[in-house]
Amino acid sequence: MIGADIMEISPEINGRQAVLTVPVRMTLAEMLRDRLGLYGVKLSCEMQVCGVCTVLVGGQPVSSCTFLAVDTDGRRVLTVEGLADGGRLHPIQQAFVDRFALQCGFCTPGFIMMTKHLLERSSQPDREQIVAHFDGNLCRCTGYAPIIEAVQDAAGKLGEVGS
Amino acid sequence: MGVLPPFRLLRPTTVSEALGWVNDDRMAYAGGTELLLAMKEGLLRPTHLVDLKGIDSLRQVRCAGREVAIGALVTHTRAADHPIVRDRLPDLGEVLNRVGNPRVRATGTLAGNLCFAEPRSDVATALVALGGEVEIASTFGCRRMAVEDFVVGPYSTALATEELVTHIFVPVRADLRFVYLKHQTTERPTLGVALAANGHVSLVVGAVGFAPQVFRWDSLSDLDPSEIAGQVEVVPDLTGSEEYKRHLVEVYLRRAMVGLDGRS
Repeated sequence: MIGADIMEISPEINGRQAVLTVPVRMTLAEMLRDRLGLYGVKLSCEMQVCGVCTVLVGGQPVSSCTFLAVDTDGRRVLTVEGLADGGRLHPIQQAFVDRFALQCGFCTPGFIMMTKHLLERSSQPDREQIVAHFDGNLCRCTGYAPIIEAVQDAAGKLGEVGS
Repeated sequence: MGVLPPFRLLRPTTVSEALGWVNDDRMAYAGGTELLLAMKEGLLRPTHLVDLKGIDSLRQVRCAGREVAIGALVTHTRAADHPIVRDRLPDLGEVLNRVGNPRVRATGTLAGNLCFAEPRSDVATALVALGGEVEIASTFGCRRMAVEDFVVGPYSTALATEELVTHIFVPVRADLRFVYLKHQTTERPTLGVALAANGHVSLVVGAVGFAPQVFRWDSLSDLDPSEIAGQVEVVPDLTGSEEYKRHLVEVYLRRAMVGLDGRS
């Protein structure tokens, strides 16, 4: 029978080179959670609508629930676990803490990874851009206002570091 | 958890290699934003996915005479960010920047969007109004077809099972005035309205019916929003009744006409 049902892949995950043998049907979320123990990747709607499974692949945000693990071969994968510098939170994470931008916290890794992508594209986004960027991220505690403030806060802090 | 059913993966590096493989059971795969979902839901059960992402010739956006050619692997984000699209097809770029959400845009391709023929596709509605065409390859050769003829119904296209869409061609018209408005409260639009004018007027009403619905006139003054709202095919669903959606069509048509006037 032609075609592969298992493949060896070598993605870079949170800065470390990995070599994994995975079934082609395995999603990226399954690989990150079940093989690598990266439980910051959450699963909820599993249809690319809610955003809790967001990770960056090659700098682009993807819904890891609906993305094949084999498609990360040779690419960089960043999850929320890859943001902190040792014991020091990334400025985006710190801004979410400072602004109380979470209640239950389930949606938070997704919002943080989307923020990372937004601030790489646009260092000082306005409120409208932030809201549009979160079109596909749901917070069922409905704490959107502090989340938006946290993004503005993080943009300010990262701007100071950059200048 | 929604687990993907078993399948095998094929990775062609040329279009002709891919054409040797695709058929009813071996489905073309690129972004997978629609296909993988349908597989998880058990709606599609291909034995193989033919992953087109290794075919470099399908990655480009380029100028081709008075058209722009967009390769089948180009994602919504890459197209919208591409200098050629920003310069020559800014109207299309604006539509692409508002499709789905940033993750869907970064992963999903324009060609895949058309091939899946989701009735609420922003891209199909806009490309029909812009006069877009698809280039279709088979082992016999290449043919071109208007997007308007390509999308024949919900989840249904004119593509034969052993063919592939290789490029999308969009005409560049400097004198074109174009407006796309949509009403959206969930992850897909309830209504998309594209109005294009350069000499003639084309109106495409998307998302409310089974496929984009096209109307043409010689002049904008011939367009009667309440008449169109009464004529269009409307499918009621959780986002609104037939009466509500007809009302939306009329309101959005009026807004689109005002918007088009502002773009002279």
